[in-house]
Formats: sequence, C-alpha cells, structure tokens
Amino acid sequence: MKRMLAVFRREFYGYFLTPVGYVVVGMFAVISGIAFTLSLIGYSKMSIAPTDYGYNTTPDLGETLLSPYLVFCGMLFMFLSPLLTMRMVAEEKNRGTMELLLTWPLRDRDIIFGKYLAGLAMLLVMLLIIGVHLSLLGSLAPIEPAVLVFGLLAVFLMGAAFISLGLFVSSLARNQVTSGTATFGLSLLFYVAGNLGAQLPDTNPAPAAWPEVLRAAAGHIYGLTRGLILELPVDTHAGEMALGVVYPGDIGYYVLFSAFFLFLTFRVFESRNWRG
Amino acid sequence: MIVAKGLTKYFGTVAALKEASFHVGRNEIVGFLGPNGAGKSTAMRILTGFFPASSGEARVDGVEVHEHPLEVKRKVGYLPENVPLYEDMVVTDFLAYAGAAKGLKSRQRHEEAERVMERCGLLPMRRRLLRNLSKGYRQRVGLAQALVGSPPVLILDEPTVGLDPAQIVEIRSLIKELGREHTVLLSTHILPEVSMVCDRVIIINSGRIVAEASMDQFTASGSKPLEEAFMAAVSFEAGTGEAAP
Repeated sequence: MKRMLAVFRREFYGYFLTPVGYVVVGMFAVISGIAFTLSLIGYSKMSIAPTDYGYNTTPDLGETLLSPYLVFCGMLFMFLSPLLTMRMVAEEKNRGTMELLLTWPLRDRDIIFGKYLAGLAMLLVMLLIIGVHLSLLGSLAPIEPAVLVFGLLAVFLMGAAFISLGLFVSSLARNQVTSGTATFGLSLLFYVAGNLGAQLPDTNPAPAAWPEVLRAAAGHIYGLTRGLILELPVDTHAGEMALGVVYPGDIGYYVLFSAFFLFLTFRVFESRNWRG
Repeated sequence: MIVAKGLTKYFGTVAALKEASFHVGRNEIVGFLGPNGAGKSTAMRILTGFFPASSGEARVDGVEVHEHPLEVKRKVGYLPENVPLYEDMVVTDFLAYAGAAKGLKSRQRHEEAERVMERCGLLPMRRRLLRNLSKGYRQRVGLAQALVGSPPVLILDEPTVGLDPAQIVEIRSLIKELGREHTVLLSTHILPEVSMVCDRVIIINSGRIVAEASMDQFTASGSKPLEEAFMAAVSFEAGTGEAAP
C-alpha cells in the first residue's frame, strides 16, 4: 500500500512537473466551460418559449441540460485521457526507468494500481471543474441530489474506462506517440463500431434454408456478437445514469470495463517472465 | 552472498548467457570483467530480478531470485547501465521516491536521502533537476539511489563508464569504502579498475564464465598479470573449459 502510494504520488505530481497536467486540465476547463455555456443558453431559450421547441411546458432541466452536458464531458475524456495515459508505462520503458521500477521492491500491482489511481486523481481534478459549473447552475435552479451524484459518477466512470484502456495500450507500447494514438484510435473505433452495431437487424440473419440446428447456432453467435458490439461505446451506459436513474448493470459495465483492461495490463507485465 | 548456478538466458534464439556459475562472498568486492556484449548486464539483470533466467538458479543471501523477487529486491541495490533517471525530478525528490518505493516511512526517507547524498557528494546538487546534471553527477545519483535503504548487496553495472579521470578516482574510492559494509558486484571492461577496486575477478566472454580468481593470484610473483590472463581468457574458445589465471 505504502509503495503503491509512492508510485501514485510520483505519477500524479509528474503530471504537474511537465506541461501535460496543465494542458489537459486547462483544455478540459475551456471546452467544458464552453459546452456548459451553450447548454445553458440553449436551455434558457427553450424555457422562455417551450412551444417553439416542441415542449408543452418548461423542459426538464436534467434531461435537456444536465445529462447531455455530463455525457459530453465524459466523451471529452476520450480525447484527453490518451494524453494522460500515453506516458504511463511507455515512457518508463523508453527512458529505461522501468528498470528501476522493476528492480525496486515493488509488486506489479503497486506499479499498475499506482499509475491507474494517478489517472483517476486527474479525473477528480477535472470533476472539480464540472462541480463549479453545477454549483453555478444550482444557484439558479434546484438540482436533484440523485442527478448530481450519479451524474458526476457517470462522468467519472466513463473517464476511468478510458484511463484503463489507455494504461493497457501504454503497457504494450514503447513510444508515447504510438501509445496515445492507439488509445485514441481504439476509443474512437469502439464508439463508431457501436453506432454501426445499432444498424444491425436484431433478427437471425441465417437463411431459412439452413438446417434448424445450424440456424439456431448461427443466431446465437450473431446475437452475442451484436450484443457485444452494441456494448462497445463507453457512453452507452452513461445517459440514464446522468439523469439520476441507476441500474446496477450500468455501474457494473464500467467496473468490468476497467477491470478487464487492468487485468490485461497485469498479463502484459507478467509477460516479461516468459518472453525471450 | 550471491550464488549463480548454471544461469542461461536466451533472447529468441540467441544465448546471451550460457551455463554461468559463480559466487560472491559476504562483504567482498567482485569485478565482472568482460568485453562489450559478453553477458555482464544480462547476468546482473537476472540477479536483480529485472527478468528471469531461461534456466539455472540465482540466489542472493540464500533466497532464490525468481521465486521470491520481493525479498531479493529488498536486499539488492542496483545501478543499471546508462543510469536511467526521472529527468523531471530534482535530486532530493528522486531519492525520496526511491526510499518510498523501497518501503521507507515518510520521515525516514528524507533522512535516508540526506545520508546517501552526503555519502555520494550530492549535497550541493540537491535542488537540481536530474536532466540538468552532468554525466558524473548522474552516475552519483544512480549510485545514491542504489544505496537508499542500505541494502546489503550492491550490483553496479559499469559504474565508471563515461566519467572523467578525476570522477573515476572518486567513484572508485567510494566503491572501495562501500565494500566494507556491502557485498559489491560491479561490471567493467576497464582492466586496471578491477585490480584497483576488486578483491576478486570473474571474467566472462560470449556468455560463459571463462575465469574466476582472487586478485592476489594475479599480483603474486611468477603468475601472469591480469592483462595477459584477460586476453587469454577472452581469446580462449568458449566451451572447452576454464582458462587458468
């Protein structure tokens, strides 16, 4: 634990010893600020003349302002988290400092969790900025506590998912640019593939002429693949959570997403034991 | 203190180390001597637990490196070749980080950083960024990092490479001093260095241990000087046995 904290501290302060931390937090502040302003302007227009926008009464604050804004912030992490994760392991390998880490009495989990937690801590710094926006909004209109808590949680979990993916890619790469580009590429691929998956029909595509057994098997495989593709975009489970409606499955999705990529990172670290 | 038995390491199909067996006694300074690419770094990296051997066993203070890596890493201070450092940190912070990674408590790690900085003559450089240090000071920081936590075993990969003559003399005398309290295994390809610093020498060539002898055997009258022994050992066809000192 003590050693994990050591890695965590080094990694977290490391963001602010180089411009990376300031650039990422600064960019997040500016972009989320603009997004918040636009949402606020849009919402005020809607509430002044709701009928022009197809509403009978003043539209719901959570649905029309908060949820889209929070999910947007989560998606912003898709662009910013590669900047946080690309150096995590790749730079240690490139600079040779991995040799220090691996010969100091540290366990793999001290290194991996230390770095992952540093990424999460950066997310918390950015959540503070969202907190400022929300408290501004809170002074104008009442926000339901559930929307506030689960909205922030949704943003955090989305960010955590991107960080775990980035950490895994970084552990494979030796070069920061490769690591960052591949992480961003993968996140974007997941996103696009999910939207493509939404276009797939949900009926069994196997021809009716096939024997029943084969048809059933093909249908199962197709259904499984389609379901998996639909789950790929990281924002699918955030929309409702950002409205304050929480299903355990939604939280489970993000926990599993992070756990899966952390698990793969452990396996990459262990590969030094059998790779020649 | 350090025992290696039949260490072999393959990188793909290339054997960097073949059946290397040697030992280092407690509080002994042993020089690992060999031409570039002989397998010195590979052997050291196995001993420090950076990567495992393909076969054979390595023990530090009786503990098998691959089976109990954490225990071994607590006992070993390691100066890697080329001295990788966190360029964006200042000297004290880096040494405190090394202390934290080695499990020292908050206050202890600052005391320990002070102690090793004094030992390695780094006090005037304490607030300098590592990236701005000269080669000589980088080498000292690398050594200081290995000393943090006073591990009983020090493994130093080419500790004097790239230094100017005055710095070489300083580092050598520092290593000699350290040899009183620590077991030191250092690698080098500089012959006089071995005779000046070490108690014993292990000569390695293309992955094999070709000679192992104490320095007294070289300095005793009537025996071959180290240079001759080295040249004989290195030109010796690997695989036919050990060359006599």
